[in-house]
Amino acid sequence: MKRVALFIPCFVDQLEPKTGIDMARVLQRIGYAIDFPEAQTCCGQPGFNSGYWREARALAERYIAIFRDADFVVCPSGSCTTMVRVFYKDLLEGAAREAASNLSSRVFEFSEFLVKVAKITDVGADFPHRVTYHDACHALRELHLREEPRELLRHVKNLELVEMPYSEECCGFGGTFSTKFPMISAAMGETKAANAGAANVEYVTSTDPSCLMHIDGILRSRKSPVRTIHLASILAQRELPNENRSQSVMTQTSQ
Amino acid sequence: MNTPAKEFLRSAAAKSADLAHRSTIRTGIDHYEAAVTRTGARFLDWEAARQRCQAIKWEAINHLDKYLLEFESRVQDRGGHVFWAETAADARGYVSELAARKNVRTVVKSKSMVSEEIDLRQDLEKQGVKVFETDLGELIVQLRDEPPYHLMTPAMHLTRTEIANLFQEKYGGVESNDPQHLVDIARRALRDAFFSAEMGITGANFLVADSGIVALTTNEGNGRLGSSLPRIHVVVTGIEKVIPRMEDLAVLWPTLARSAVGQSIACYNTLIGGPRNANEPDGPEEFHVVLLDNGRSELLADAEQREVLHCIRCGACLNVCPVFRKIGGHSYGTVYGGPIGSVLMPHLGGLNKFQHLSFASSLCGACTSACPVKIDLHHHLLQNRRNAVESAERPFSERLAFKLWRWMMMGPMRFAILGGAARASLRAAHALGLEGTRLDPMRPWTKTHAPPAIPDKSFRAQWRTIAKK
Amino acid sequence: MRKNDDPGRDRILARIQRGLRNPAPKHPPLEQSGTIFAAIIDPLDRFRKECGQNGTECLIVPHAGAVAEAFEGLLESIPPGEIFVQDVPELRPMVTLWRKDRSIRWSSEGRPAEQSQATVTLAEALVAQTGSIFVSAACGGRAASVVAPVHIVVASIQQLVPDLGAAFARLRERGTVENSSMLCLVTGPSRTADIEKIIVMGAHGPRRVIVILSLEPLS
Repeated sequence: MKRVALFIPCFVDQLEPKTGIDMARVLQRIGYAIDFPEAQTCCGQPGFNSGYWREARALAERYIAIFRDADFVVCPSGSCTTMVRVFYKDLLEGAAREAASNLSSRVFEFSEFLVKVAKITDVGADFPHRVTYHDACHALRELHLREEPRELLRHVKNLELVEMPYSEECCGFGGTFSTKFPMISAAMGETKAANAGAANVEYVTSTDPSCLMHIDGILRSRKSPVRTIHLASILAQRELPNENRSQSVMTQTSQ
Repeated sequence: MNTPAKEFLRSAAAKSADLAHRSTIRTGIDHYEAAVTRTGARFLDWEAARQRCQAIKWEAINHLDKYLLEFESRVQDRGGHVFWAETAADARGYVSELAARKNVRTVVKSKSMVSEEIDLRQDLEKQGVKVFETDLGELIVQLRDEPPYHLMTPAMHLTRTEIANLFQEKYGGVESNDPQHLVDIARRALRDAFFSAEMGITGANFLVADSGIVALTTNEGNGRLGSSLPRIHVVVTGIEKVIPRMEDLAVLWPTLARSAVGQSIACYNTLIGGPRNANEPDGPEEFHVVLLDNGRSELLADAEQREVLHCIRCGACLNVCPVFRKIGGHSYGTVYGGPIGSVLMPHLGGLNKFQHLSFASSLCGACTSACPVKIDLHHHLLQNRRNAVESAERPFSERLAFKLWRWMMMGPMRFAILGGAARASLRAAHALGLEGTRLDPMRPWTKTHAPPAIPDKSFRAQWRTIAKK
Repeated sequence: MRKNDDPGRDRILARIQRGLRNPAPKHPPLEQSGTIFAAIIDPLDRFRKECGQNGTECLIVPHAGAVAEAFEGLLESIPPGEIFVQDVPELRPMVTLWRKDRSIRWSSEGRPAEQSQATVTLAEALVAQTGSIFVSAACGGRAASVVAPVHIVVASIQQLVPDLGAAFARLRERGTVENSSMLCLVTGPSRTADIEKIIVMGAHGPRRVIVILSLEPLS
């Protein structure tokens, strides 16, 4: 049986566990056996982005050791996937760097895995809502994913996919940027929230839970009716029997 | 924290909240984006154009001494003078001394970022020389006594009405805020200066080594007048503007034009080889090229970031930057702003003084995608951050925090326990209604966001339960 | 070698040479990968289309003799005032045919006056790719193509090249690069986008650029 190892980003583990659960559900549904290497903690991105490469390096080496033997590593975050695939090369040297390169070819963001590896665009999901897709920066510019998430969304039953203005513009999260430069970050988030509002949607979705947490916090602080939901959670949604339909709305922040 | 960083935070916060400013910038950027998209059709392969331009600059910068010497030799063969200025002061000194020696009373100046970098205009004015900025955008900010807002369009933060009011105040005769009319006003105001100035100062877009030619790209015609009418023409330029051959311009000109303003090609691409030839009816009698180092040779030695010198100053990175779109050009407080400025200023102006610019980015990478010479801008921001940490220029509290972070993440048990404890305290704080208050552990977040719901169980805890089934 | 009295020169060069001893990590391919621009099959057609887009007025005439006639038509749209003309055999006889009561200043008399209403010059080349005109200081001087509100270029089809690469080749072959202290690729009337990034025509240079293109050589 085909096996995948789940790469659950540190903040997904602690703050958005549902995203990980939903991703695992979908992978199982399409026929993969799931491993969750419990030793994993963090890929090192926060330290790397803040310039603390020495500290990040220790975490990178640890990460590589944990996932070394996995056939496939699947992650519900474009930015964490980018850290491993793109930035571990800058962080490491010699044998560690080679190990990183080797691992890189087996690490995938979730939507990328479904479309490019599993070669599946219809996972049997049903989500009867008006949805727009936010192009998370790392997924878009480092992993070059633009069509893959949209393909998956187009195959979700009853889902109406609309494009919002400036969908490719950064939402403003940027990791520690959001706490070091909160006013700029919030202004960028406001623009993103306003654009989602202009698209008249019920949900904003993306490949990146950190973007969604940021956008969600801004939407709710503006009392917007728009909600956020991770792509994995949309794909995990199946058609429910009629009497359960009203409870089918799952938000990003529910447990 | 030092003053430029504090001032940056203050200005960035103020501008980020300024909705009118946001709207003006958005309108300007929309025009730009539409024009860039239209011009895309002129390229069979835009990626190939970028790669070609990158290759040209790579060749030039990685053999900079060879090409600078070739350029100098050819300029001198044709009767021009070349001065190598190590510092801003050296460059200013040369031009000021030349102006004094030649009894220059009036200078017409076209757009040159290098001249801003070295404060040339102010220096000349101090010795009683009248300096006219002739680039419309530069003229506008000169009249308002403020620095340029943007590399390419110095006055894009102003509406036509604001410009109309400014011109009415300074020149009079303004009948409407129609941009065409305002441009006419500026043209009329500067005609006399062009015809009476003794010296014209321009920048350079490219220095062509194989022919000793200064290539100057403009749209307005001010650079042309300034290099044709006055009897002395001075070019101030960074040493990194060199390109190997004239033929390189066949791809550089259209690529620069698209990235800079979404044009097929700029209106005037001028090639100046020296002072007038004996058989030519007009033109300057003297031609001087001031080659400025001012920190560039040091950046050159940094092999990892050497390619930052490939920049052709198109301004595309500013236009696409979501941070620039919120904080505007003035907030950077530096000659070079936006992504290129954030990468460059720690090198030209000092890491400690300007590192904050390299941190003020969400690393979205739009700049890197837009750069016509494929500079890996956002990766260089990361390198600057690393350099800042390694030179111990970061606050102690931050260094401690990341040591703790590393310690925690090296042990899954620690991570699970501490994570659980953090969530418990957050849930308690929020249950007590403390979100957003000083006692909220998530306060930096909840100041600008509605608080998230905090889960009971982590993923790993839930997984154990599921796995058992 | 020229005497240079700036000591900074040697120090800068030394720093550059030292700095370059560390090789740059990436070495991008130096060969052109992929064709950047589509080949231009019909240069005249492309030239006209580009002129239409960039605001250059393009008048095509069958032969040199028809150029003067084209001028007569143009004159009506040029306000009264001095016209500056490049002093060359191709233009001298033509001017008598259309000058009527216009005051003419020849380039041999000096540069154009500030109040000139129009300048008339030849060109070094026409470039189809961008609808551009290559002029040089030999075309009546540097100021001739920029001072007046109207710039009229008289050219012939033999001067039309498909693209920028071909233009540079032509300039090199004819020694124009060595012999002129200035060359300029002019593409349409002067313009600016400094006000709200909206393009406005007619900044400091001409507001009208007109090419009279003869389908046969001028002389």
